[in-house]
Amino acid sequence: MANADTPKVSAEDIESLIELFKQSGWDEMHLETAGLELFLSNDPNATGPRQTPATAVAALTVAGSAATPTQVASPASVATTGHVAAIPEGMVAIRAPNLGTFYRAPKPSAPPYIELGQQIEITTEVCLIEVMKLFTPVQGSVRGVVREIRAKDGQMVEFDEPLIIVEPN
Amino acid sequence: MPISRVLSVNRGEIAARVVRAAQALGIEAVQAVSAADRDSAAARLADRTVVIGPAASRLSYLDASLLVHTAKATGCDALHPGYGFLSEREHLARLCGEHGITFIGPAPETIAALGDKLQAKAIAEAAGVPLVPGTAKIADAAAAKTAAAALGFPVLLKASAGGGGRGMFIARRAEDIEASFDKASNEAEEAFGDGTMYMERFVENARHVEVQVFGDGSGKVLHFGERDCSIQRRYQKVFEEAPCTAMPANLRKLLHDSAVALVASLKYRNAGTVEFLYDVDRAAIYFIEVNARIQVEHPVSEQVTGYDLVQLQFRIAGGEPLRWSQAQVPVQGHAIECRINAEDPTRNFQPSPGRITRWVPPHGAGIRLDSHCYDGYLVPPFYDSMIGKLIITAATRADCVIRLQRALAAFTIEGLTTNLPLLKFIAAHPDFAANRLNTRWLEQTLLPAFESSQE
Repeated sequence: MANADTPKVSAEDIESLIELFKQSGWDEMHLETAGLELFLSNDPNATGPRQTPATAVAALTVAGSAATPTQVASPASVATTGHVAAIPEGMVAIRAPNLGTFYRAPKPSAPPYIELGQQIEITTEVCLIEVMKLFTPVQGSVRGVVREIRAKDGQMVEFDEPLIIVEPN
Repeated sequence: MPISRVLSVNRGEIAARVVRAAQALGIEAVQAVSAADRDSAAARLADRTVVIGPAASRLSYLDASLLVHTAKATGCDALHPGYGFLSEREHLARLCGEHGITFIGPAPETIAALGDKLQAKAIAEAAGVPLVPGTAKIADAAAAKTAAAALGFPVLLKASAGGGGRGMFIARRAEDIEASFDKASNEAEEAFGDGTMYMERFVENARHVEVQVFGDGSGKVLHFGERDCSIQRRYQKVFEEAPCTAMPANLRKLLHDSAVALVASLKYRNAGTVEFLYDVDRAAIYFIEVNARIQVEHPVSEQVTGYDLVQLQFRIAGGEPLRWSQAQVPVQGHAIECRINAEDPTRNFQPSPGRITRWVPPHGAGIRLDSHCYDGYLVPPFYDSMIGKLIITAATRADCVIRLQRALAAFTIEGLTTNLPLLKFIAAHPDFAANRLNTRWLEQTLLPAFESSQE
């Protein structure tokens, strides 16, 4: 039983753990703490840790890479780039794969990769992230309609920041 | 030009230390963090925190381009690398310079020269710094006996082309050479196609002693005394102290003079540490290497000299000269640091990351704790297991040891396994109190005793 000294594990903690797990390259993660047991696996057939524990196991399958859109809201960050507004219900965010400068178009004179209301596919290039003159295109990684472009052209974005909000279809 | 805003690109306790030092000088601090460190102490202390990449170090703290881009994008004019990660990579220092960012550390050329072991030895030798005495090629057993008599037993014979211990042996007397030279030379001939042998003094009773130095780039160098870091496990320091009370005054002077001469010959800029092997039985010192960064154990030098070395890093990098004389850096009292790690000393030092449910550090006179941890902090599994450094200061080493024992006894950390039981065991050991230590003591004497005490 959790006593008064034991901090509660919040939903944000769990989101952070899922994020950490996704970055780790591990096959499985099994965490037990007061009042909670968490099992994460990349194996879609995973049913839980090998030893059956007394408490209920929350089995979650985490797929994809860092750039995979997720419907889970980002954990509150102490980062000072401003409070990130929540992702509206039913929408998904295309997030920054790392810190860099956000560009909407492949070059200054060219039209933007995408516009509001546009249908995009998983492989559609939606923006560029630049780090020291190295420009990396970001793919949609979701099929849907562009509903919001959150990041501003030419501005710094942080890792995991929602860049573009898409309504999946 | 004085620094106005710095990007701190490390993590853990040193990031928090760097942020505080900057702020104390009126410098704004931006902290670059990985996704796993959003909630870290440095992130909370900094004027601004930016998440640069995912938890994996190679996609965050080890990506030099990403760090310099972050510095520019956040309007920083300087970058502090801390220790570990990219702190001694010529590439990061050079990239900073190319983009108008002041790298808080030595010039890239200096980092490169000292990072190459052979080049570093050549620089040391040219500056008159003692190296481990040895010989050139040795023809036969008779020549080896003559050379060994000149060097003084014991000696270590090695194959010139060697590696992995092949053709290597220790000779404690002339008869050992008689018995083993031909065999070792033949073994080297078979293994490497070259039976050439050479010889070095073998240091049986060695202490690790190092000198904290600072240069301002003009050739002026000051030292901030020496540290004794002989308590090591697998070349990882566990306890560090200042000064080295086991060293006689004349040898200490040679130690300081050697360190200063070496880095002055490079017109060294910023903080560095010159490491030596102290051959206790022969009362000699031999150069090992120079660490071109601030080190984990810098606080013990701060405690006995009264200088804030991280603040000094900022001031030197901002263009201030070293305006003190060596006489203005006296060493007073004694300081001991021990490293608190989230690891299990009873299970082969297995790392034990997790949530700290209770963190109650000791308080009192002479107790300093450099740590990024707090109640409820989650120690992530991706990085180094060090969670804090306990630094004890007192007038004498004997008082310091007693104060350390009490401070360790009063330290409570719950929620994860730490090496506190081992640190307490070391602090209470009679060899530690008597300062009867060498670099093999922890592994050969202390750990077996600790293990049997746990049964």
